[in-house]
Amino acid sequence: MKHAISLPRRRALAAGVLTAFALMAQPSFAAVDVVLAIGGQPDALDPYNTNTTLTQALLKNFYQGLYGFDKDLNIVPVLAESHTVSKDGLTYDFKLRQGVKFHDGTPFNAEAVKATLERAVNPENKLARHNQFNRIAKVDATGPFAVRITLKEPFAPFINSLAHPSAGMISAAALKKYGNKDIGFNPVGTGPFVFVEWKQTDFVKMKKFDGYWRKGYPKVDTVTWKPVLENNTRAAMLQTGEADFATPLPYEQAGELQKNPKLTVVTAPSIITRYVSFNMLQKPFDDLRVRQAINYAINKEALAKVAFSGFAFPAQGVVPQGVRYAHKMDPHPYDPKKARELLKEAGYPNGFESVLWSAYTTTTAQKTIQFLQQQFSQVGIKVTVQALEPGQRTEWVQTAPDPKTAKVRMYYAGWSASTGEADWALRPLLSTEAWPPKLNNTAYYSSKVVDDAIAGALRSVDEKEKTELYRKAQEQIMKDLPWAPLVTEQSIYATSKRLSGVYVMPDGNVNMDEIAVSK
Amino acid sequence: MTSTPGDPTVTVSAAAAAATGVRTPWSEFWRKFRKQPVAMGALAFVALLVLLAVFAPWIAPYDAENFFDYDRLNTPPSAAHWFGVDPLGRDILSRILMGSRISLAAGFFSVALGGLVGTTLGLLAGYYEGWWDRIVMRISDVLFAFPGILLALGVVAILGSSMVNVVVAVSVFSVPAFARLVRGQTLALKHMTYVEAVRSIGASNWTIVVRHILPGTISSIVVYFTMRLGTSIITAASLSFLGMGAQPPMPEWGAMLNEARADMVNAPHVALFPSLAIFFTVLAFNLLGDGLRDALDPKIDRQ
Repeated sequence: MKHAISLPRRRALAAGVLTAFALMAQPSFAAVDVVLAIGGQPDALDPYNTNTTLTQALLKNFYQGLYGFDKDLNIVPVLAESHTVSKDGLTYDFKLRQGVKFHDGTPFNAEAVKATLERAVNPENKLARHNQFNRIAKVDATGPFAVRITLKEPFAPFINSLAHPSAGMISAAALKKYGNKDIGFNPVGTGPFVFVEWKQTDFVKMKKFDGYWRKGYPKVDTVTWKPVLENNTRAAMLQTGEADFATPLPYEQAGELQKNPKLTVVTAPSIITRYVSFNMLQKPFDDLRVRQAINYAINKEALAKVAFSGFAFPAQGVVPQGVRYAHKMDPHPYDPKKARELLKEAGYPNGFESVLWSAYTTTTAQKTIQFLQQQFSQVGIKVTVQALEPGQRTEWVQTAPDPKTAKVRMYYAGWSASTGEADWALRPLLSTEAWPPKLNNTAYYSSKVVDDAIAGALRSVDEKEKTELYRKAQEQIMKDLPWAPLVTEQSIYATSKRLSGVYVMPDGNVNMDEIAVSK
Repeated sequence: MTSTPGDPTVTVSAAAAAATGVRTPWSEFWRKFRKQPVAMGALAFVALLVLLAVFAPWIAPYDAENFFDYDRLNTPPSAAHWFGVDPLGRDILSRILMGSRISLAAGFFSVALGGLVGTTLGLLAGYYEGWWDRIVMRISDVLFAFPGILLALGVVAILGSSMVNVVVAVSVFSVPAFARLVRGQTLALKHMTYVEAVRSIGASNWTIVVRHILPGTISSIVVYFTMRLGTSIITAASLSFLGMGAQPPMPEWGAMLNEARADMVNAPHVALFPSLAIFFTVLAFNLLGDGLRDALDPKIDRQ
């Protein structure tokens, strides 16, 4: 409300200043620029071709989906007004919002939905999120603002998939103009901001979209997203006022930042879970006792303290609480004695040597793998640790062509199920179909029980049955232990006092629908 | 073979010292070195450091890699932990003590290796001159054109990250410096009368180079060696800081600094002590080198 009152005044001011500058023949001018510092570089400006949450966060401002998530990951309609599902769960009829324009001026309509989704479904486009949409059989425009989507098989979390930030609607004209690849450098959506410039390592700049369908939005003129990989630098940028918002924040500095009167530091629950996966195709990780031993060898409370400065707690099972159908299970207690016994039983009385890779190079990740190295050495397991650069991660882990020769052994990673639902927390990580290079089953875990339960739950429309199936899958996973679940972390972020309406969602995504700046 | 008349230090300073009687080169050097309190201090520090490094496993109060106390993360210096505790709960003093072995060894071996190769190349280039000299010197120029750390980074990038490769990388950029230094000396020395005398009595090239010219270059090599130690320790630490040298949990000073980055703001001591260790060690080697130069350089003595 407060902003609604101050808006016209600021507009008038901006207009005045603008005129003044126009008289001075200044070529460009930004009235209010907000700088958001984020912890990773965007890998592609194509929501269908990235698995990075922060990239999705940024792209949400260019692209909007038929549905979206609110603060608590509830589904809300965005470009769709409503939908109906057929009894067999195969046909979805959508009624689209009218009067929405793309940044290139073309109207949003059924054609755009059809073009966007058909691109996502086509395997030849080799899009990273193809699997999220591969159950779509066909998309038909049943009217200018009516779409019918037919599925190959019932897929209960279909609306979740559409609400995920990756399912943004792309202008059909732009898609035709730029093609499958170049659209990733020239985003054209219906979102509140228009793409200005992307300097890969430096920034992504966006400016207000004047034709935005939500009247009165957005309330700032330009936003610059700066990837700042170094934790301390991100925190320092907040302290100096160079950035108005930063996430993730170094846990080590939360206390320090809280003391700064110009900043608001927020701690929020997350659905980000951290784990170590074991390559189960390789010795010694093919032995359940070894995997159990490692689970017993890790003091998760201490890990939360060492690497996360206490902003984390031992993972309660495979799927974190807050995700639908998460089944809460007790973590393995810390018991190095038992770990050594299990290793002895498995035939490794003196432990063994292996490698532990981290999917990230952040200081938190570096601390985590070094901590794990310490813990493992206590039970005789000697690991060399390496934090992988994005290129190495892609080449050695995510796109390793042959499971049998994949070099990955122990792999520290994290995941947030951005659809807010257990399917996306299990299927991409632990189902047989998700072995790299397709998805992220870095454990090369394969269990018929789990595969069947996941598939069954996808087809089921009965809540009770789904809960039961997901419980079964999660219990089986904890029995087989393809992972050592570590901790569920809390997200902390900070904003300058002048900024409002930007927050971090439980999956680590950033929402700035209500972004505004006070004087 | 006659006894060596070759050491220029002796020949030149013999004249200067004529009034005070005959001295051995060693006592002459020591007399001059002793007079420099700064250099003596540096020598004492280096000696202490070497002793600490040798006896580190027995002196270190805790196990540098396998002791950790998760209840005292980042605690500042105390009676139990003189240098405090690091972000992973380890005793910083113990790690610095153990790290001194790594840093000193890396510095010594890289300079020794670079010095050996560089001296050999320089002797040959200066003695034979001609095309061989031109090749060696042009390659040295090329290597000189790279900033040291960049060259070392490149070598490590090719060889892979490990402490042994860091030693190789750092030695590579010591080679041209030694080669140039020794070549210059050799060029001057080979025209000295005593060398001509040896040649005239029919000594082989090998004998001339190894027994008569090489000893003449030793003093500059020793000075340069000492100075170079400091630079090499810094470069090795820098490479480890960048994650290309020592791998965790090795208590290498540069790697310790890297690990301290995240906590530097709330717990400055985690970065302070490894930094001081590097600082004092490098300073000591440089001051020692200065002292050696002053004591070994006959020109300075005359003033």
